Amino acid sequence: MACEIKEKERPGCINPIFTCQPAGAQFASIGIKECIGIVHGGQGCVMFVRLVFSQHFKESFEIASSSVHEDGAVFGACGRVEQAVDVLLMRYPDVKVVPIISTCSTEVIGDDIDGVVTKLNAGLLKEKYPDREVHLIPIHTPSFVGSMVSGYDVAVKDFVSHFATRTEPNGKLNLLTGWVNPGDVTELKHLVSAMGIDATVLFEIESFDAPLMPHGNHVAHGSTTMDDLRGTANAMGTIALNPYEGGRAAKYLQQEFDIPTIIGPTPIGIRNTDTFLKNLKTLTGKPIPESLVRERGIALDAITDLTHMFFADKRVAIYGNPDLVIGLAEFCLDLEMKPTLLLLGDDNPNYKTDPRIKALQENVDHDMEIVTNADFWELEDRIKNKGLELDLILGHSKGRFISIDYNIPMFRVGFPTYDRAGMHRHPVVGYAGATWLAEQMANTLFSDMEYKKNKEWVLNMW
Amino acid sequence: MPYHLFKCSECIPEREKHAVIKGPGETLADALPLGYLNTIPGSISERGCAYCGAKHVIGTPMKDVIHLSHGPVGCTYDTWQTKRYISDNDNFQLKYTFATDMKEKHIVFGAEKLLKQTIIDSFKAVPHIKHMTIYQTCASALIGDDINAIAQEVMEEMPGVDIFVCNSPGFGGPSQSGGHHKINIAWINQKVGTFEPEITSDYVINYVGEYNIQGDQEVMQDYFKRMGIQVLSTFTGNGSYDGLRGMHLAHLNVLECARSAEYICNELRQRYGTPRLDIDGFGFEPLGNSLRKIGLFFGIEDRAQTIIEEETARWKPELEWYKARLTGKKVCLWPGGSKLWHWAHVIHDEMGVDVVSVYTKFGHQGDMEKGIARCEEGALAIDDPNELEGLEAMDMLQPDIIFTGKRPGEVAKKVRVPYLNAHAYHNGPWKGFEGWVRFARDIYNAIYSPIHELSKLDISKDEIPTDKGFVTRRMLSDANLPDEVRNDPNLRPYTGKYDSLVDLRGKTYPTFEPQAVAV
Amino acid sequence: MRCDTETTTMGDAMRDDVMKDRIEQLVDYIMKKCLWQFHSRAWDRTRQNEGILTRTRQLLCDEPVDISTPDARCYWVDAVCLADAFRTRYAWLADMSKDDIAVLMQGLHERIEFLTVTGSLNLELTDQKY
Repeated sequence: MACEIKEKERPGCINPIFTCQPAGAQFASIGIKECIGIVHGGQGCVMFVRLVFSQHFKESFEIASSSVHEDGAVFGACGRVEQAVDVLLMRYPDVKVVPIISTCSTEVIGDDIDGVVTKLNAGLLKEKYPDREVHLIPIHTPSFVGSMVSGYDVAVKDFVSHFATRTEPNGKLNLLTGWVNPGDVTELKHLVSAMGIDATVLFEIESFDAPLMPHGNHVAHGSTTMDDLRGTANAMGTIALNPYEGGRAAKYLQQEFDIPTIIGPTPIGIRNTDTFLKNLKTLTGKPIPESLVRERGIALDAITDLTHMFFADKRVAIYGNPDLVIGLAEFCLDLEMKPTLLLLGDDNPNYKTDPRIKALQENVDHDMEIVTNADFWELEDRIKNKGLELDLILGHSKGRFISIDYNIPMFRVGFPTYDRAGMHRHPVVGYAGATWLAEQMANTLFSDMEYKKNKEWVLNMW
Repeated sequence: MPYHLFKCSECIPEREKHAVIKGPGETLADALPLGYLNTIPGSISERGCAYCGAKHVIGTPMKDVIHLSHGPVGCTYDTWQTKRYISDNDNFQLKYTFATDMKEKHIVFGAEKLLKQTIIDSFKAVPHIKHMTIYQTCASALIGDDINAIAQEVMEEMPGVDIFVCNSPGFGGPSQSGGHHKINIAWINQKVGTFEPEITSDYVINYVGEYNIQGDQEVMQDYFKRMGIQVLSTFTGNGSYDGLRGMHLAHLNVLECARSAEYICNELRQRYGTPRLDIDGFGFEPLGNSLRKIGLFFGIEDRAQTIIEEETARWKPELEWYKARLTGKKVCLWPGGSKLWHWAHVIHDEMGVDVVSVYTKFGHQGDMEKGIARCEEGALAIDDPNELEGLEAMDMLQPDIIFTGKRPGEVAKKVRVPYLNAHAYHNGPWKGFEGWVRFARDIYNAIYSPIHELSKLDISKDEIPTDKGFVTRRMLSDANLPDEVRNDPNLRPYTGKYDSLVDLRGKTYPTFEPQAVAV
Repeated sequence: MRCDTETTTMGDAMRDDVMKDRIEQLVDYIMKKCLWQFHSRAWDRTRQNEGILTRTRQLLCDEPVDISTPDARCYWVDAVCLADAFRTRYAWLADMSKDDIAVLMQGLHERIEFLTVTGSLNLELTDQKY
């Protein structure tokens, strides 16, 4: 019985779990109001990221490209950025924040996007837009470093460090959510507000769930303001829920402005949500109210009906963003399940020393593997060729064919989840998230029992 | 003024020459939008890159191939599970995608060793697949890895495998079209003529520019087989690697999407003397004419005629049912490239809808010539549209529906215009006679959606109708129809299955005796 | 016969107008229904126009048609369909003499060549390579 962490031995990748850094920076950029990013690279680097966002959220988000073509790749393409900024500002009068997001191509050719920003600040912006507040923010996200996860982390830090300005203490708490869904933000804001805490949520993406209104055009877009970002320097404290998605910005605020900071845990499951509330209490001094005791009770009441009867000893494989995967694995253990394989889709060296992973290594009493830099073949090969038996898969839609071809029930969680309706609307964090996760995992198992006629009669009497 | 400058683009006057309104009596010699020019940076164009044009559009529909991209992992991730091109080998090409997953050290020190190892490991992982295509990306192009040399090395060391290399980095051209071009030329240069598939018929075609979206290729192949024609290869939907290596042996190239695949037909004509016949697989009349032409070419026109008569009798009453209910509806036909001309005239002729606008993301001026020629007067034609122009056009034209991509479809939804997915289809296949009825059915369902009707009601201001607990599509579509049309006993809505392909796979076909004199 | 009566009573100018109108009807059919005239290079279009419209004229005038090579046969296929469509859609064709049809088709050929080649605004037509 051991929990082993190792890096995928095979070079290359068969069916990727993650996409690359610029996608993460783009995801951060759409969370900010009056912000349209310019991705400096080939057009596919934007077109496909917008597509996957639209697959996941069933919404369209505005992101621009510098449209680097052959001449730019040969002779340098900084001029494309200059033109892109001007065109964007001319045509989108409300835009004030323009991150310039680099890609592999423009990093390899060595385009100096910081230099372009300096030049535009001194030139174009002064001359053509003297009365307009415009922030150009270079974000370096070469695709051959890290993954979409680190790209998000880098971008959040770059946005925060660009804007954060020390003035007067604002009595607010910085809450860095990590790469989550609108449903998560709703739940997190609910918990924070139940505690009577005023929080700056990075990012306010509930508005990603945009309405179809009888009049006008209501494009989905995040609603975090520049003032929100400025105010992060004046907060009473920072909680970054996901160390790998926002941790960098939290550390920056801590170092630069001495803001009391707690990083983690991802509040997935009852236990981690308890810790989150405890951390809120620690940083703000506010007590945990009776209403949350009750909400917790409702969640426990629901989950108790499921654990021993249905979840105990069920073998689970989990893949996706690291904080999500770890949080889900921890919750599964509380649910008496056996997370047997965790797949983390990039080569971040910090995973090996992550205290949560160390705790798994020290305490799990069943065989468990954690693979970093993993692809989907690490999962499929084990199922197909190495006798791995699973009762459930937890992960995003890109792994759907493993579930389909090997007849293993799968509950969709993470990004992207385009092959199930409305997943972004539901939280996985907080007590509501714990209930949703447990009940949907159970329902997934139930459907599978019926489909396979595997003790489906059990449900006659429950 | 035939050219049309959008208000939102007045500040980028070079856009003026990219949009045209087809004026009364005007011809293609009076006005034609510019096309296939470098994109204006920051315009939020809808274009993709040359890598995706090569790999995602044309390469990957090949079904029995390991598709390996040499670069960081994002390109591969992006072009995986974002299409509906299926295959009859359990969708191997949809399920599996391979990458070298290049990291920083490879950028610095080169990635040829990584590439070689990944090729070998990939073949080992799926031992039943013996063919591979390797796609260059921006990163591997810029660091200058010699992919061809590595592929050659592996082929020498691993007998029995065959590798095709496509050098089409993302930045190579104004749009995905640059990649279509590169992979066409690379395929004929590297692979055509290197394999001799078995010839089983007197009548042998390559079916080119067909990507088997939701089974289109299989529908068309059914007609060809019923005519006793051997489809030696399909370029590339549901196509096999070896079949495509044998393209030089066909008697005729039947070309569907000329935008993405005319290059290889032109080259086959130049190099092997194989004629190119452009066809339309969409719409009863164009499809019937297409089958007839192929039949005529081989001297088996009667076989085509039989199919046309059978299929028309079976499906025409259903098409007419929809036409009666769609006549006069306004359509923005906003696809990627070829569908603007495949559909522009025939949805008007056979479904009665009015095409008020066509656009093309990556088409060339030739596509616009075809599209504008086929549109009715007054239509607005836009090259390389961008987000704001699309919205302005919808505001100006007030279409009842648009046919476009998934993400732009979400834009339309927000201004209360229903959309159908022009690339992946809603409930296709849309080719073939039955497919055309399925398309009409999908249009009808979208336009007469009771939910769509509700989206226009402002409950805070408008009178809320309280007399109905529900509305059906029929209640909406038939409200103003004359009785004789509404109750026409000869017409009926679609009667096919959810999956119209189930009866095609495994179907047996009549054998035709070989004739003494082949064409 | 009706047509003949008309033409004999018409002046040359009117006769030209009728011919022009008829050519435009045929042009309209080709532009809407056909694809062969839109190959991607000028020389290719000229070859297509020549190959198909010549054979269409030959078919309409009951002249022999060359189908000796695959290319020729492929042109003939499009020509057969075009000639059939013309006959079906344009009843006035039946009343025209072969000489007049030859003139009509010559005018059509010139017009199509203008619209697709010499008058075309397509900047890619003169590219050297495919």
